[in-house]
Amino acid sequence: MTDTTWDPSQPILEITNLSISFFTRMREIPAVMDFSCAVMQGESMGLVGESGCGKSTVALAVMRDLGKNGKIVGGTIKFKGRDLTNMGEEELRHIRGSEIAMIYQEPMASLNPAMKIGAQLAEVPMIHQGMSKTEAWALARQIVADVRLPDPDRIINAFPHQLSGGQQQRIVIAMALMSKPALLILDEPTTALDVTVEAGIVDLVKELGRKYGTSMLFISHNLGLILDTCDRLCVMYSGEAVETGNVVQVFDKMRHPYTQALFRSIPLPGADKNSHPLVAIPGNFPLPHERPDGCNFGPRCDYFQDGLCNNTAGIAMSPVPGDDRHASRCAKWESVDWDAPIKIRAAKPKTPIGKVVLKMEDLKKYYSVSGGSFGGGTKKVVKANETLSFEAREGETLAIVGESGCGKSTFAKVLMGLETATSGTIMLFDENVQSTPIQQRNTDMVSSVQMVFQNPFDTLNPSMNVGRQIIRALEIFKFGKSDQDRTDRMLELLDLVKLPRAFADRMPRQLSGGQKQRVGIARAFAGGAKVVVADEPVSALDVSVQAAVTDLLMDIQRENKTTLLFISHDLSIVRYLSDRVMVMYLGHVVEMGTTDQVFQPPYHPYTEALLSAVPIADTRVIRKRIVLEGDIPSAMNPPPGCPFQTRCRWKSQVPNGLCDIEMPPMRTLAGGHQVKCHLSDEILASMEPVIKMAAE
Amino acid sequence: MDDALSWGSIIARILQQFLPVWIALIVTFALSIKFKRNLGLYGKLFDSPVGMVGFLLVMFWVFTAIFADLIITMDPIAQFGRIKNPLPGTALIDVKDGQYGYFLLGGDHLARDVFSRVVMGARRVLTIAPAATTFAFMVGVTLGLPAGYFGGKLDTILSFFANLVLAFPVILLFYLLVTPEIRVTGIPIYLAAVLFIFPIIFFATLFNSRFFTNPPRRNLYVGVTIVIGLWAYSGLAFNADPLGVWSMDPNLLNVFVSVVFVNSPTVFRIVRGIVMDLKARDYVAAGQTRGEGAWYIMLWEILPNARGPLIVDFCLRIGYTTILLGTLGFFGLGVSPESPDWGSTIDDGRKLLSIYLHPAITPALALMSLVLGLNLLADGLREESMKD
Repeated sequence: MTDTTWDPSQPILEITNLSISFFTRMREIPAVMDFSCAVMQGESMGLVGESGCGKSTVALAVMRDLGKNGKIVGGTIKFKGRDLTNMGEEELRHIRGSEIAMIYQEPMASLNPAMKIGAQLAEVPMIHQGMSKTEAWALARQIVADVRLPDPDRIINAFPHQLSGGQQQRIVIAMALMSKPALLILDEPTTALDVTVEAGIVDLVKELGRKYGTSMLFISHNLGLILDTCDRLCVMYSGEAVETGNVVQVFDKMRHPYTQALFRSIPLPGADKNSHPLVAIPGNFPLPHERPDGCNFGPRCDYFQDGLCNNTAGIAMSPVPGDDRHASRCAKWESVDWDAPIKIRAAKPKTPIGKVVLKMEDLKKYYSVSGGSFGGGTKKVVKANETLSFEAREGETLAIVGESGCGKSTFAKVLMGLETATSGTIMLFDENVQSTPIQQRNTDMVSSVQMVFQNPFDTLNPSMNVGRQIIRALEIFKFGKSDQDRTDRMLELLDLVKLPRAFADRMPRQLSGGQKQRVGIARAFAGGAKVVVADEPVSALDVSVQAAVTDLLMDIQRENKTTLLFISHDLSIVRYLSDRVMVMYLGHVVEMGTTDQVFQPPYHPYTEALLSAVPIADTRVIRKRIVLEGDIPSAMNPPPGCPFQTRCRWKSQVPNGLCDIEMPPMRTLAGGHQVKCHLSDEILASMEPVIKMAAE
Repeated sequence: MDDALSWGSIIARILQQFLPVWIALIVTFALSIKFKRNLGLYGKLFDSPVGMVGFLLVMFWVFTAIFADLIITMDPIAQFGRIKNPLPGTALIDVKDGQYGYFLLGGDHLARDVFSRVVMGARRVLTIAPAATTFAFMVGVTLGLPAGYFGGKLDTILSFFANLVLAFPVILLFYLLVTPEIRVTGIPIYLAAVLFIFPIIFFATLFNSRFFTNPPRRNLYVGVTIVIGLWAYSGLAFNADPLGVWSMDPNLLNVFVSVVFVNSPTVFRIVRGIVMDLKARDYVAAGQTRGEGAWYIMLWEILPNARGPLIVDFCLRIGYTTILLGTLGFFGLGVSPESPDWGSTIDDGRKLLSIYLHPAITPALALMSLVLGLNLLADGLREESMKD
């Protein structure tokens, strides 16, 4: 295995003109075309792009794990000078896991649930280096400590299900590092994790990369994350690399229209729904067998020029002189004025905020869970929501922010009437609905409170056509007198969400994620909803689609004066579209105020950490790095006193250990800004902003 | 008297007798393959060799059942000639006008034509097995949906009864249901009364939950369901149809009820499991948040999305029912003593198996090929429904 011909000054991974196709019954589907990139020793390379652009296919090709249907149809992948594309199975097995390791998105799926952590880790050096069992276990223990897991002795004897998601992902990283690989491939390693946990993992990956000198191929759809972790990046669109170069150069001096459009469609600090709306990329991602001639991005590009951008010969990568290996696949990059300001769309008027439509007071929702498996045992109470009080006004967007398990979904269920509250009042249009389950609510009430769901692939019934699903909502809401009335209204609703009327006869599987989400929105507004709960409506969508769907929601809100309760964990989008923000942690509201109040100091310590954890794709932004230790405590067994005390970095500033003993009261600061914290006013006032724009 | 036929000409004559089946098969396959891209899951079946072979075998027997009257060479119940157990190809003595001259696949101990009996048997088997399976599905689905959807006590009780039925030895249960003493007590009739009501409940709820927003249409659909349902119900369960259209032979009723009774708990468990999985989907929550009734969600939101595994199980279960019917026939619990169904025919042939193989082996092969076809079809459907 010692290949002496490789010279460390050469790239460790060099992909040249790689083309990959998948062969199905119907046709050959090209997944990646003419892809080239090089990763030097110790360098980390980011692969960015929307789903379906081929970034994961490239990673799998490096591992030579394309499955039965996938084939490399051209080009070479050289790892340390050796071509992987024509390597035999036996040789590949030596390389995989020992010289190239891969980390996948879903940590639980990467670990064997029936094996102890230590055994899974020790397996790697035992197979690849023939290490003895005791030595391998000792190494496993050391690496577990290296990935900064507490109490490594306990962890190596644990089974995967006994660890949290963040801990599992650390174990997967540890496993990848067991044989000190030269190249680490990370395929969306943090997408399944909460932001505060993600921040910890990102830090860890960066530090380990430095420590071991490992090269990395980091695949992500999140530009901010790439900026945080990588030295170089490669932007992919529809199977092709469209722009590659040094991260800072590409971010500040992009030379491909797609990269530019991508940056304009993500909510960066400074974007605002009224004065600086996001610019969505028009059109849809082309299907692999329907790609246009010439530039794949041509049909959606603002700079499209007939005859140049759609010539059948295709467009090659051309280097941007003066930069560090910066190249763009654009025929016009030299003639486009890249610094031209964005064509400002007419700023939209701010929606006037009206009277209070929804008021919650001291809402509590407890679940009782039986302890034993046969119904016996002690009953445990899960406090999903504790003393929730707030009001929402007509035409207002109230964002509810928090990580998984904070009780935001329970809150939505209670409001919708799918669950009834344990105590407290919910006043909806001056009517108390706290203990009225949905079956007993009248049609008006039901149709005026509707919900948009998170997962676009789940929100529509796969065996009913789109039109039928909207018409059903109209029938239930007793709209119209005849089928004709309802069909007309359904077509109007499709217009409202900017979908072609022909979609009425389509089945959900024929729609893209963004289109499905639009149908979900149309269905929610079928009965003229006054209050809409949007449960992470765009988090599962690609960035370019997110902007369009968010805009749509905002437009409909403006028109109907809808109150939007926007549940999200993504603070960038929250800052962009919300009027007021409510931050939740373990069932408690820890901070509430207008968007400016929440995003500026003084913060609640949890909000501070949350803000610092969100990666921002802007090189000018300077972020204070606050990484929370540990995981979110279980709602079944919350810590005494303040729920956040186990992870709070300000805890020592509170005298007498008050945080351990007493639940802090909700305090009202200037301008109605509410914070649930024991910290004194002086300390709160001394907090520094987490995000700062560097002076330009 | 003619000489006995050679094997070559026997095969040629059999192939010729099946001519209507061949034509029907060719037409079906030609049309299906031509339009397979527009036919959904059924069309995709023609991409899978396994599925095609299974479908071919099943359709062979289906068309045989349909065209049985054209295919048979002799009356399957009548006895011909003086020789017992004539060998395949033996010529008939005293051929009358219009009579077929040969025992193509021999005759049994009463000199009945084996070929015609097997062909007629296909009709028997293919009417009872799918019908019984359909009823079992109605019962299983109607009970499995609420058990999975609501959970809790209802689920505990229903699952307990399902397990109870499953834990009871099947053959013993059949013997009990078919013995005259039990029949005198009327238990099979009561069972039929309970089991046969489920399709009416199923369809009435199905239409009501969807069309309650439009009362005239709801009344029409539910009304028609109840009128036709109760009419058929009175005839099938109690043999009391005032018009005499619906009726079921008491022997057949016993067999039918037993098969439905034994199959429905398994269906119940499958449906319950799928519902528990599907009820966590967002489209179910969307239905709930717009105030949709529980039965609408179960029947129109969840059930259609459970169709994949259910169709596969339906195919397997027809095969299983076919074997069950064969077993019943073999134990003499068959439909009627004279009936040409495959199980009884095998049993008849069994007594002289060491001397004459043909009376038993032909129906056995028929049974085997049909069940094999159904299993292959289920495999093909499963494989194709997993893709994309």
